[in-house]
Amino acid sequence: MPYIKDKRPETMLLEGEWNVGAYKYKAPHLLEEFVQGLKEKKLIGSMCIGCGKVIIPPRNICGRCHQRMEGRITVSNWGTVVCFVTSPPVEKGKFQVFGIDPVESGLIQEGSVLIPTFVRFDGADANIVTELCNVDPKDVFIGMRVKAIWAEEPQGQLSDLVGVEPI
Amino acid sequence: MVKRVAIVGYAQSHHQYDMQKTREDMVFEVAKEALDNAGISRKDIDTVVTASTDFLDGRTISNVFLSMAVGAYMKDESKVEEDGASAALYALMRILSGSHEIALVEAHTQASTFNPHQVSFYTLDPLFDRQIGLLNSVSAAALQARMYMDANDVSEEHLAMVSVKNLMNAADNPNAHRRMPDLSVEEVLDSKLYYDPIRELTMSPISDGACALVLASEERAREITDFPVWIEGVGTCHDAYLRDRNLLRLDSLRKAAEDAYKMAGITDPFSELDVIEVSERFAHEELMIYEALGLCREGKGKVFIDKWVTQRDGELPVNPSGGALAADPVCATGLIRMVEAAKQIRGEADGHQIPGAYRALAHGQFGICAQKNIVYILGGE
Amino acid sequence: MRNVAIIGCGQTKHSSRRRDVNLAELVEEAVTNALVDAEMTMDEVNALVVGNMQGFGGVAQPEQWLGDWIGAPGKPVIRIATGGTTGGSVGQGGYYAVASGLYDVALAVAWEKHSDSREPGATMGLAHVGIANMFHAFNYGLSLKSLAATAGVGAAAGVAVYQARYYMHRSGCSIEHLDMVAAKARRNAAKNKYAHLQWPDCTPEDIAKTELIAYPFRYGHICPASDGASAIVFAEEKIAVKKAKQPAWIKGLASFSDEENQLQSENYGGVGVLDPSEQMGCRMSAKKAYKMAGITDPKKEIDLAEIYQPFPSQELLFAEKLGLFDEGKAWIAMEKGETDINGTIPTDLSGGVNATNAIGSSALQRILECALQIMGKAGEHQAPKKIRNAVAHGWGGNTNYITVTVLGDSPRR
Repeated sequence: MPYIKDKRPETMLLEGEWNVGAYKYKAPHLLEEFVQGLKEKKLIGSMCIGCGKVIIPPRNICGRCHQRMEGRITVSNWGTVVCFVTSPPVEKGKFQVFGIDPVESGLIQEGSVLIPTFVRFDGADANIVTELCNVDPKDVFIGMRVKAIWAEEPQGQLSDLVGVEPI
Repeated sequence: MVKRVAIVGYAQSHHQYDMQKTREDMVFEVAKEALDNAGISRKDIDTVVTASTDFLDGRTISNVFLSMAVGAYMKDESKVEEDGASAALYALMRILSGSHEIALVEAHTQASTFNPHQVSFYTLDPLFDRQIGLLNSVSAAALQARMYMDANDVSEEHLAMVSVKNLMNAADNPNAHRRMPDLSVEEVLDSKLYYDPIRELTMSPISDGACALVLASEERAREITDFPVWIEGVGTCHDAYLRDRNLLRLDSLRKAAEDAYKMAGITDPFSELDVIEVSERFAHEELMIYEALGLCREGKGKVFIDKWVTQRDGELPVNPSGGALAADPVCATGLIRMVEAAKQIRGEADGHQIPGAYRALAHGQFGICAQKNIVYILGGE
Repeated sequence: MRNVAIIGCGQTKHSSRRRDVNLAELVEEAVTNALVDAEMTMDEVNALVVGNMQGFGGVAQPEQWLGDWIGAPGKPVIRIATGGTTGGSVGQGGYYAVASGLYDVALAVAWEKHSDSREPGATMGLAHVGIANMFHAFNYGLSLKSLAATAGVGAAAGVAVYQARYYMHRSGCSIEHLDMVAAKARRNAAKNKYAHLQWPDCTPEDIAKTELIAYPFRYGHICPASDGASAIVFAEEKIAVKKAKQPAWIKGLASFSDEENQLQSENYGGVGVLDPSEQMGCRMSAKKAYKMAGITDPKKEIDLAEIYQPFPSQELLFAEKLGLFDEGKAWIAMEKGETDINGTIPTDLSGGVNATNAIGSSALQRILECALQIMGKAGEHQAPKKIRNAVAHGWGGNTNYITVTVLGDSPRR
């Protein structure tokens, strides 16, 4: 094929931007129900009347049956590790979340190992992603039994579910 | 066309400025309603084609979390990133190829998420026009309108009359966003000026909305319904970039219309068509569309408005539903025109029915100053 | 059904920064190459199907601007974009445009110019997949810490890390096997003059020396972000036979959509409802595409595969889902060299996405590479055996979109 340039002189560089801060996204009402449940240390999922699947956090449409998920079900606080990932020890200046360095701002301790985990709480058909705490990373395995850790005083917000720990 | 394909079911949302619903809900509702309208269920469809764009939806891969809501789970699925009428074309291709029988087409935009006119700025040449920062879809349309008015002796009143016609038609269309039964030319001319001569009421509103339709091959269409609306012809064409084309004419629409007429065997569109639904994002575009569709001679679009030819009770009604001036959920607008045309043919357009409509034209456009155009000829039995 | 064949392929040299061209010129380069290869001019092309991920370059609907460079004015243009599978969807769009009978010759074009955005690769664009819906989650008190935990591990590879863990748990494959796949991709890429990450004598040990990002992924496992474009000319049977000595026929295709698998769905629900390594969509697509192509036993009848593998675990995982190997056995076959250039099913001889990843065009390149192998035009990385049937794969979205295209050296009968 004939058209590969051998020489590669650079072209002029122009600055531009895609302003993405101005979007107005809509929140679903279901999230309200979910966080109200968290306030009472309950995990509320939605159940599809068609196929019986329980999805947590609740979603309002079952794509398999193509209908609204009308049922509400509280699932257990106990569950199973379905999958997990271990991070290398967290270092300062390695990554940022919305422009904030989580180590510098004290959110995460330097040198700690994060274990985001897919947990399937008993009674649910969907996994929730949360952090696995109070465990040596070497001891984690798929199929490990865990239970939810709750905030001391749940406020009715997503961070009320702090994570899970081994039973 | 080798095979015949028909529209067998459709649905659209009640378009409004802010739907107060998540996109998922909105999409689910129209998809479900379209399937119900056709009297089939999700398991009957073979393929799903949706239309939405990343910039308008504010997320990369705009359809990624909507596949389940639209009913595409375990279906042969794809997404067209432009007007819904093009999604319908892709679905049509899929059926014509023989691999699929029934297709669900869905298009949506929640314009309340992000101002679509700002998105139009991001479609400009990033190396030149974006750096200068003067152009966007509205200012470019204003330039075009000024050129057109100057060349063809069209006054601002003509543009206002187009808006009055469409917005008063919309008053009888329950799905429309801007419904104004008592609108007068003076009111239009007094509305807020954006870029002269574009005013609030001579440009389309910013709407949330979704639209869906079900296409089926001839064999399946006859099983599903007694009133199929056949796609008799289709044509689409892309024009050169804004700065490189003659803004006075909609050449791509002319080409698209010629292709569609040829396919449908139409030689005299004015007498052979009963009703027309066009996507006129600005009032002057409707006049230009008359010309490009070959309904009248070059530069004579204003005569249609002067002589009331395109009124709902005129000789050739255009936009009895109110058109894009009445509701403009960007990606859905062209698909809504197809649905409105199909409604007219089926005799289901309650308040705004044209008696005896048998053959209709639906038009969709995309891009600044209607850069890309698509034309469908739809017909009854 | 109308038979459709590929009669011309064009791609650009890929690298992390193609600063010698702008986006329009980059796309034009691929289109020119494809037309030259097909011995055609733009006048003979009836329709175009184009696509890329529009957020990544920061230009919305770029074909409106760069259409002039690729001869689009005056022609039908359809823009198709489905995330990672964009290229595959564009290729399938090109097939359908011709197969429908509406057009006789269609040009499929896909591209990505990552270096146009300041963020490395597509970080910003990809973040938007999930973050768009996380904004409102903050109103419900999502803690920044849990977001940081997700970002710290996930940002590099996202759901693919979980997918790899799932796969390894099920199949018994180890991290060393991932090193082998990555090394193979780098070595193959060295023979492909258009590829990005070329490393002639790369060994698994070289890969194993690179830094661990999140178990099981090392730095050396991960695909680059490339600038590049590719274009394919599709034609109907009569024209194809006249124009090309050995056209690459499209025999079967499908693109089934699965349930999304990631953290955030449209309403902060659907959290990993599925095991992302299950890939029912891929199995269904493969089943349909093989049926259409008249292939009953892919293990025997498929001679070559181009799998979309930005992460090495995916080459193994998807080879199984495409029916090329038994469930959980792909890594054993790979270890035995069955996926090497002299093996039974050579896989990703071009280096694949692991070596070259211009996202919008990546999946189109898979189809393109299969076509090159069938047409015998692959050059240095041409498989020594005669390729009769090849399968091109693409995945995207939140691991929920799949395209599978089966190509062959003779038309469907």
